[in-house]
Amino acid sequence: MRSKSSSTLRRSIALHAVLVPLAIVWLFPIWMMVVFSTMPENAIFSPNIHLIPSDRFWENFLILQADTDFLRTIFVSVVVALVYTVLSVLLTSMAGWALARYSFAGKGLVLLIILGTLTLPYFVVVIPQFIMVARDFGLANTWFALIVPPLFNSLGVLFMRQSFSMMPSELFDAARVEGVREWRIFLFVGMPLARPTLAALSIILFLASWNNYLWPLLINNRPDMMTAPVALGSLIGLTKVSWGGIMVGAVLLTAPMIAVFILLQRHFIAGIAAGAVK
Amino acid sequence: MAGVSLKNVVKRFGSIEVVHGASLEVEEGEFIVFVGPSGCGKSTLLRMIAGLEDISGGEIAIGGVAVNDVEPADRGIAMVFQSYALYPHMTVERNLSFGLRMNGNDKADTARRVAKAAQILRIEELLDRRPAQLSGGQRQRVAIGRAIVRDPQVFLFDEPLSNLDAELRVQMRVEIARLHAELGVTMIYVTHDQVEAMTLADRIVVLRAGRIEQIGKPLDLYDDPANQFVASFVGSPKMNFMAAEVASIEDGRVTVALVNQGSARLTVPAENGFAVGDRLTVGLRPEHFGREGEGDCDLSIRVDMAEHLGSTSYIHANTTSAEQLVIEREESRSEIGMEHLTVSIPAAKAYLFDASGARLR
Amino acid sequence: MRMRTRAAYGFLAPYLLIFATFWVWPIIYSFYLSFLATRIQPWSFNPTVTWGRLVVDPAFLNALKNTLIILVIQVPVMIALATVLAVLLNSQLLKARGIMRFAFFAPVVVGEAAYAAVFRLMFNADFGVINKLIGSIGLSPVAWLGDPTAAMALIIIAVTWRWVGYNAIIIISGLQAIPQDVYEAATLDRVSKPRQFFFITLPLLKPIILFCVVLSVIGTMQLFAEPFLITNRGGPGQATETLGLFLYRQGFTVLNFGYASAVAYTIAALAVLISLANLWLGRSAR
Ligand SMILES: Nc1ncnc2c1ncn2[C@@H]1O[C@H](COP(=O)(O)OP(=O)(O)OP(=O)(O)O)[C@@H](O)[C@H]1O
Ligand SMILES: [Mg+2]
Repeated sequence: MRSKSSSTLRRSIALHAVLVPLAIVWLFPIWMMVVFSTMPENAIFSPNIHLIPSDRFWENFLILQADTDFLRTIFVSVVVALVYTVLSVLLTSMAGWALARYSFAGKGLVLLIILGTLTLPYFVVVIPQFIMVARDFGLANTWFALIVPPLFNSLGVLFMRQSFSMMPSELFDAARVEGVREWRIFLFVGMPLARPTLAALSIILFLASWNNYLWPLLINNRPDMMTAPVALGSLIGLTKVSWGGIMVGAVLLTAPMIAVFILLQRHFIAGIAAGAVK
Repeated sequence: MAGVSLKNVVKRFGSIEVVHGASLEVEEGEFIVFVGPSGCGKSTLLRMIAGLEDISGGEIAIGGVAVNDVEPADRGIAMVFQSYALYPHMTVERNLSFGLRMNGNDKADTARRVAKAAQILRIEELLDRRPAQLSGGQRQRVAIGRAIVRDPQVFLFDEPLSNLDAELRVQMRVEIARLHAELGVTMIYVTHDQVEAMTLADRIVVLRAGRIEQIGKPLDLYDDPANQFVASFVGSPKMNFMAAEVASIEDGRVTVALVNQGSARLTVPAENGFAVGDRLTVGLRPEHFGREGEGDCDLSIRVDMAEHLGSTSYIHANTTSAEQLVIEREESRSEIGMEHLTVSIPAAKAYLFDASGARLR
Repeated sequence: MRMRTRAAYGFLAPYLLIFATFWVWPIIYSFYLSFLATRIQPWSFNPTVTWGRLVVDPAFLNALKNTLIILVIQVPVMIALATVLAVLLNSQLLKARGIMRFAFFAPVVVGEAAYAAVFRLMFNADFGVINKLIGSIGLSPVAWLGDPTAAMALIIIAVTWRWVGYNAIIIISGLQAIPQDVYEAATLDRVSKPRQFFFITLPLLKPIILFCVVLSVIGTMQLFAEPFLITNRGGPGQATETLGLFLYRQGFTVLNFGYASAVAYTIAALAVLISLANLWLGRSAR
């Protein structure tokens, strides 16, 4: 007769014997990012193994700031990500609302096109986007170029549509009978009720914009409009460069997102998982 | 205050027609109840009156004005929904005032109207709560309050009580009747519930599969149903139906033989529309069965189950041809435990329906 | 209710404008571009230098081969790992669940540039901490950035590190949708835990795992930042040149838009084909 508690114990030990080492391996790069960012340059390239943070973060930061105006690039990144998130949430919520709560000619077609092109690789559009924005509009190196083209992202439309269509329609009918205008119903009834979804969506969009690498790399070549990931990437390729400084940059890019992740984990996970519920 | 008039109203969803030309005149101040089986189009009809659904054909007028192209808010109606449809993120006070505020109504007037509605419905203490903090009955009151605040000419209710438990339902039913008496406005009310329909309505509209089967005062529908569907739908327990065959016809009267019931025969006044040998249906309400020998013919039945409620008993039984019957009896203690019973049918109380369900008279 | 229809178009219009301009139109335009010779002005219709060149260009074929190798190894490894992780992280027996989940989910928020920098430093052949650790247990160091096979392995390791948690999150959401009573019934039927995994969990997770596979295939087909930044533009030589990198070179270094568009469409077609093949396989195995 096997006892239940002893078999549970055995399974628990096996579980942790697998997961704990794996978790350490997975945390290792992030840990090393922090360690490197606090180490003097010569220690990084010494034959000894350093696994504990040192105290040179500030010095490394000054070196980074001397290599490239990193604070400026962070500022650009913050502005781009914030404006992008607000605009994208607004646009996709409105579109999701229309697709969820109204019937109109062409609705099926719009949905079909959005869903049908959703899985196309971004590479298919990046060249025409570039030609259009840089050559036809002459808008390379502008806020517009950094913020507006990525607004095509349809994830929010599907996400918000799903959220809005699960709300009972009587709620909106009640407002309609009371003579509330459609855009006010959207703003004062629909949107407040979609708050959890909005939170998840905002986080995902902000993260995507914050980490966006390819598009800002292509569309911008003016140093004062460079985003932080692009600046960091351009340093990696240089031969004479401070790796301690680069690691400070990596930490500055990563730490805020880790903080957001820890604070808003629930919304975050909901946002990612929502990609799968369609 | 205003009446409502429907002329040949049709509703199609895509290519499917779900309301096939409904016509109805609702008088000012009248209380009209729509009843009918699930999916028959009650809500659709109500929502068309409200303006929440497009009208595919025909015309709806409120207060003498055609409203086909009028926005819901401009129709002078207010609607109470089955799910209450309270805005979960607003307090009761905000719920009540939302529509007025959104339309730029004067602040003082809004406050006055909210206070008045709260007083009528006795929900003054609840004004600062959210819907989630209210009981079902309280939510229902708020939903009605939201309608009152609009000061409408016509109230529309879509099964407003169906989410409440039995006791609250009775209580709210009385409240709604009181409200109607107090405000005196036109009300159109959709329900599944027999008792609500019978007690609240000035007139009942019976719907089936998108068609109006009959319109009339509650007791008129009960006493004089236009067809077999209405006969079976109005009244609880339901009317009993037995198969019969036309045995002979003499001027103004027809004699039918109950199928498989030996010599049981009934002679009923009826004009024409049938021939000897036609299959018909005889209908009789549960309370109209008599004791053996009291009526015009006798019927022997097998008792399945009897419910003795004290003053009244309901006997569920089968005829020899396996037709289910329910018989209501007063004073039937002497019959407790009996497996076979003989009852009688008074011809004057029996209804005749032809094979298509149409009433023969 | 014509007014409501108008409202609907009003809500839809701003997004649709952006979507049409920056998504739908480019899709069409790049297809058109893929038939144009764009090296000399004015651009002219000449598919032999775009589509025709694809089949004979050794650089393209090399990028295609590399991408498919990465795809064939990385996607199955990562999805299998993500599935196992999802089940383990979802276990009732797990202690310190928050930290455990953090360990695997945190890479999801780390940007490409940041993690490329760390990996490049960690896997430095001479001074990298990985080789130091390998050396400390007595093995000979690996030329991560100098040896073609090792460089491929590095790309695969990096991508797997970054994306496994992302997939695990999706699979966990699928796990949590499985009603608990199914497992309770199985336990009463004396079905062992491992068997429950293979005969209950996996079949029920299949749609969601397929979804992850499709996402990963599309992602891997577009692999760009990792070989660009970690292995220094596809090095050593062209050993980690991917389709994404090749397209970047053709489109934005050489500015041969026509040819790059043909490459882009090839990537799209392959991604769609491989995804459909996966879905089809998943269906027929049922
Ligand atoms: N938006 C719609 N699209 C298509 N068909 C619909 C729609 N709304 C209702 N119907 C159909 O119209 C018919 C009438 O529906 P309606 O809701 O009016 O029924 P009801 O009498 O209110 O039923 P219940 O008593 O169940 O509430 C049903 O067959 C229903 O399926
Ligand atoms: Mg209904």
